Amino acid sequence: MTDQSSDSSADGLTGQVAQNVAKATPAAVVRKVRGLSDRAIAWLFISPTIFLLLAINIFPLIWTVYLSFTNYRANRPGRPIEWVGTRNYERLLGNEDIWGYLQATAHFVVWTMIIQVIIGLGLALLINRNFKGASFWTTVILIPMMLSPAVVGTFWTYLYQPQTGIFSYIINLFVSVGPIDMIGSVDLAPWSIIIVDTWMWTPYIMLLCLAGLRSIPDYLYEAAEIDRANAWQKFWYITLPRIMPFLMLAVLFRGIENFKMFDMVVELTSGGPGSTTEVASINLKREAFEKWRTGYSSAFAVILFVTVFGLGNIYVKALNKVKQ
Amino acid sequence: MAEITLQTISKSFGATRAVADLDLTVHDGEFVVLLGPTGAGKTTTLRLIAGLEKPEAGRVFIDGMDVTETPTSARNVAFVFQQYSLYPHYSVFENLAFPLKAPGQTLSTEEIKARVREIAELLRIDHKLENRATALSGGEMQRVAIGRALVRNPTVFLMDEPLSSLDAKLREDLRVELKRIQRDLGATIVYVTHDQLEAMTLADRIGVLNQGELVQIGDPREVYETPNSVYVAQRLGSPQINLLAVGMLELPLVPPSATTLGVRPEDIVLDQSGGGVAKVLNVEHLGVETVILLELAGQHLHALLGDAASLEEGAEISIGVREGAALFFDTNGKRVDPVKASAREEAVYGT
Repeated sequence: MTDQSSDSSADGLTGQVAQNVAKATPAAVVRKVRGLSDRAIAWLFISPTIFLLLAINIFPLIWTVYLSFTNYRANRPGRPIEWVGTRNYERLLGNEDIWGYLQATAHFVVWTMIIQVIIGLGLALLINRNFKGASFWTTVILIPMMLSPAVVGTFWTYLYQPQTGIFSYIINLFVSVGPIDMIGSVDLAPWSIIIVDTWMWTPYIMLLCLAGLRSIPDYLYEAAEIDRANAWQKFWYITLPRIMPFLMLAVLFRGIENFKMFDMVVELTSGGPGSTTEVASINLKREAFEKWRTGYSSAFAVILFVTVFGLGNIYVKALNKVKQ
Repeated sequence: MAEITLQTISKSFGATRAVADLDLTVHDGEFVVLLGPTGAGKTTTLRLIAGLEKPEAGRVFIDGMDVTETPTSARNVAFVFQQYSLYPHYSVFENLAFPLKAPGQTLSTEEIKARVREIAELLRIDHKLENRATALSGGEMQRVAIGRALVRNPTVFLMDEPLSSLDAKLREDLRVELKRIQRDLGATIVYVTHDQLEAMTLADRIGVLNQGELVQIGDPREVYETPNSVYVAQRLGSPQINLLAVGMLELPLVPPSATTLGVRPEDIVLDQSGGGVAKVLNVEHLGVETVILLELAGQHLHALLGDAASLEEGAEISIGVREGAALFFDTNGKRVDPVKASAREEAVYGT
């Protein structure tokens, strides 16, 4: 502000000259001298992004919505596309299997989030104590996150081997229940995915919690110390409210990711046994690229999109409330 | 309420000595203000008393008990931080009630409510009890912070520049309020500030700190009138004390070791033959008094005059020092007493 005012007073004379010149110059010349307007430059800068966004996000979305009202099959390109109205949606919502797949997805998302938040927050609180070697252990904890989900899925199938796998072996050290078939059992298969996802992605939750913890000023804890608060009160009155926005953001990111979890599940169980771990994304892929029911699977994709979008919006509203 | 004693206490942060061999006793019911510029060790001293810092050497006593190894929560001290250290997600009521809900406190919900209300009324924030702590103005937040210290009965109150972030009007109100509360409760308070006005008005005794050392402690008048060094003299008084080379003003009783002459602005008097002749550079009428900027032999002086003398800028006036008010300092900045009148007479008769 001060700079501007001192500038304007110093440039008073030049400003006056410029104004006189402007008055004497025809409008067309002025435009040429000035070149592009600020607004035009702004558009120029954001146009590549907008173009890409339209090309790979917005257009496919609209096209999918269109296809969901047709009987289009992508493996028969020559066949004329017929408009079928809401038939795909009616069939989807009337299909009990679909509800089963959505249930499997919800089960996976809810449990991974609950378990990962508890363990992730716990780890963050431990790491935040700044003991010797804390940064080393942070790196070690972060390793699973850096691996490819497909690789993780594949090697966990070996770890889960009932006879030779180390998972079964370790469990049997504590309780001898014999070989455990995590992937083959109807009851355990959903949990086999939850365990792997937790192993892989808890570090992510921990990392965001850690960022939250680091942002809490020391004097709040000192004030609590003066007020003779115990550890639990400090956690409840200071730590938790302060890291809540971070925690909720972590859950938002991970929740959306897990809602469309695909690669790891394919490697681990491929949706089996039966369809116990057939989450929505796996079924979607089957319908779209194995049975080639493109119209029908587009409708399913639209339903999934609306669900995630709706839940996400409600969640972000809650997040904003917590933030203030 | 209790007495605080610090015994040759020291604390360093890396290479900087924040507090160096400091001895201090704060008596029961006394209001002691620690004064000094940034980095003088005021806050560290306070934090040492609270137990938020551990001393490297020396002992801390509260109420005659050695608490050097006692954790903060067991010392029963209240601390008002410079930042408003409120619990941001809770209401004013919850913030004030928090210290009463600490483990070991046995007040019923009704008693807590009554106590919080009482304190809130005292600090005039009772109409804000349901507001969230973050929805308050700076002044209100700091009053809540002070309220949180008052709500329980701690042995001592420690206050770290609690008024520094408030506006002038509120600062004045709270200053009066604090002094009243202290008298009513008979509270022992150690108060840290760099504001000499706060120090002068609040303190029973002022302790002046310089680089971690307590250079002088005494009642405000004593510290103001007989500072033991140039450093202390400069800490109190506004406008600051005028420092001149001895000889720039004709004065009696100048001790032989004195090199610097200190004159408070209010001790400069006009129209006295023999002092010196100064030029008036600027006249500021402040209502009750007038601040005059003078130039004496190339050096600027501030004078504070009660009767708004009709002085014109640019005028040449003759100035002197009120009798007995001149302060003398030696080359090390230490104050030296003026020569006794009788000694002077001898000197006069000797020549």
